Amino acid sequence: MRRITLLLLVLAIGCVLPLASQAGEPIKIGLTAAVSGGSAASGEAIKKGLQIAMDEINAKGLLGGRKLELVIRDDEGNPAKGVTIARELVEREKAVAIFGGLHTTVALAQVPVWHELRTPYMGVWAAGTEITRNGKSPNFVFRVSANDDYVDKFLVRYAADTLKKSKPGLLLENTAWGQSNEAGLNKYLGQKTIKPVGTEKFNWNDPDMSPQLLRLKNAGADHVILVGNAPEAAQVVKSRAKIGWEIPMVSHWGVSGGRFAELTGDLSDGVVFFQTYSFFGKQNERGQYVLKALKDKYGVKGPEEIIAPVGVANAYDGLHLVAVAIEQAGATDGVKLRDALENLKAEHKGLIKTYKRPFTPDQHDALTDEDYVLVVWKGGQIVPVAMK
Amino acid sequence: MIVQLLVTGIALGSMYGLVALGYHITWVTSRTMNFSQGHAVMAGAVVAFAFYVGLGWPLWAAVLATLVILAALGIGLERVAVRPFFRVASPAWLLSTIACGIIAENVAMLTFGKDARAFPSALTQKPILVGGAGFYAQELLIPVVGLFLMGGVQLFYHRTAYGKQLKAVAYNPEAAGLMGIHIPRAVMCAYGLSALLAGIAGVLLAPVLNVAATMGTIIGLKAFAVAIIGGLNSAPGIMVAGLGYGLVESFVAGYLSTGAREIIGFALVILVLVVRPWGLLGSRPARRV
Repeated sequence: MRRITLLLLVLAIGCVLPLASQAGEPIKIGLTAAVSGGSAASGEAIKKGLQIAMDEINAKGLLGGRKLELVIRDDEGNPAKGVTIARELVEREKAVAIFGGLHTTVALAQVPVWHELRTPYMGVWAAGTEITRNGKSPNFVFRVSANDDYVDKFLVRYAADTLKKSKPGLLLENTAWGQSNEAGLNKYLGQKTIKPVGTEKFNWNDPDMSPQLLRLKNAGADHVILVGNAPEAAQVVKSRAKIGWEIPMVSHWGVSGGRFAELTGDLSDGVVFFQTYSFFGKQNERGQYVLKALKDKYGVKGPEEIIAPVGVANAYDGLHLVAVAIEQAGATDGVKLRDALENLKAEHKGLIKTYKRPFTPDQHDALTDEDYVLVVWKGGQIVPVAMK
Repeated sequence: MIVQLLVTGIALGSMYGLVALGYHITWVTSRTMNFSQGHAVMAGAVVAFAFYVGLGWPLWAAVLATLVILAALGIGLERVAVRPFFRVASPAWLLSTIACGIIAENVAMLTFGKDARAFPSALTQKPILVGGAGFYAQELLIPVVGLFLMGGVQLFYHRTAYGKQLKAVAYNPEAAGLMGIHIPRAVMCAYGLSALLAGIAGVLLAPVLNVAATMGTIIGLKAFAVAIIGGLNSAPGIMVAGLGYGLVESFVAGYLSTGAREIIGFALVILVLVVRPWGLLGSRPARRV
């Protein structure tokens, strides 16, 4: 009799154990981003945003108490490496959703992999238009970040409608990124029957931009639209002061990172650009929470110390949206998760905005030009600008 | 427009000339050079930044410490990357100095970081505007120091006994050795001097170019082009070529396009190599019969 009881007990434990282990098994979330090299700061920022959101989600648990676990791989901004990592994260690590980094080239190379492996991808930085508009159906690629196409529309709208300027001079970095924005800017300027009076390029590490600016000035430009990263944009601003050209300058978001303020001092005053989110100024509830978490966890004293803030904000909201989708799907299966993301029923109060069905079959960008915040450099700080 | 392009060209050109003098110093002594002279300039800027901004030392102390460290680095470079090959007359110093430059760049990335940082200077706060053209006072300082150093290098090699000894080493190492000149020490000394110069250039350029681990490559390459155009064995030639190169860059960018700038600049190098391989003001090597 005792033996039978024991047997039953063992059987019972044997039945319950797998269930228990399934309930407690972590749900893996992958990240493929550059966490070394020149763009390391972007990867670090994304990591922080994900970690803060993850701590919040794990406090409650998902699907009845399961926790999220982050698996990070460094793609070094190298597309070939990105493809290998994409496979590794899904096939070996069994990650159920993957987050991406700064490089458009890597994100584009990975698009076919997500579709082959049927795993949803959430872009939180790279702004290349074709990443989300990739022609696949069903589309496994989602994004909570800027999209170059919307950015160009946004910049043109500000310059033409708010500033009421009609003679733009384009100043672009001499890369694929600069080129794609040149096309986008011309498209939206064309819709307003505006033609740029000049288009100038600069290379990485160029020390002096005054020849380019002089050409735009002589062509009669009444404002400059700038696409470049912080080090070169800093030289643009310094050269502009040198030739004494007081002119409105509207910029893509490259000037937001990389210590632009330190490099330019007061000379950056008045450079207008956009962000998906600004930690400066009055914060909503989520904003206060994230700022506090950044302080407690990473010793970030204030908004001026957040390097690459858009990475933090986008990643934070992105992971929350994925968590909502996992709950809605009731599973971690890639196809179900993708379907849930595309049809999110619950309204989600995020950091950047309140998401009401952020993704649809035709729209895989949660943020559009309506959500971007116009900001301006002032005394080394990023200050929001009212957009009429 | 012309005035501004002129000012920009002179500022740029004197930077190239200043860096290029570093190639000249070792070439004259040993017919070798540090192909990573640009990285030495970067090292100068990074080390100065570490003392001045990182540790908060006064500027003079930071500059002094930088120069001492750079000279030591130059001597170390000679010992590790040049001497083993100089002795056997192998051109492998070319690769080994490039390797040292790449190592330096990566060490800087690991220790200094990947972001470009500002090197504060009272001379780059506000531009000086004169007759529609503007420049930063720092940009005026660079040609002044550049010309001064060129004069110094010139005097050293032509007027002092030790300078003449260094030159003799390159001309005929065997005879120089027989005349009692310690050849390894002479080459070492030249490398120390060259790196010292890179240190000065680094400190001077930092406020204008900003400090970054990757700042050395382009400036080193363009300075090399300038050294070739001016003539590796002529300090005045190098300064003149530097200014000329800067002016060409600035005017091509101003009147043609930025895209044409590098094409025309480096096409000039090839032209000079074909027409006057010894450089604009360089002396034609004596033909040995």
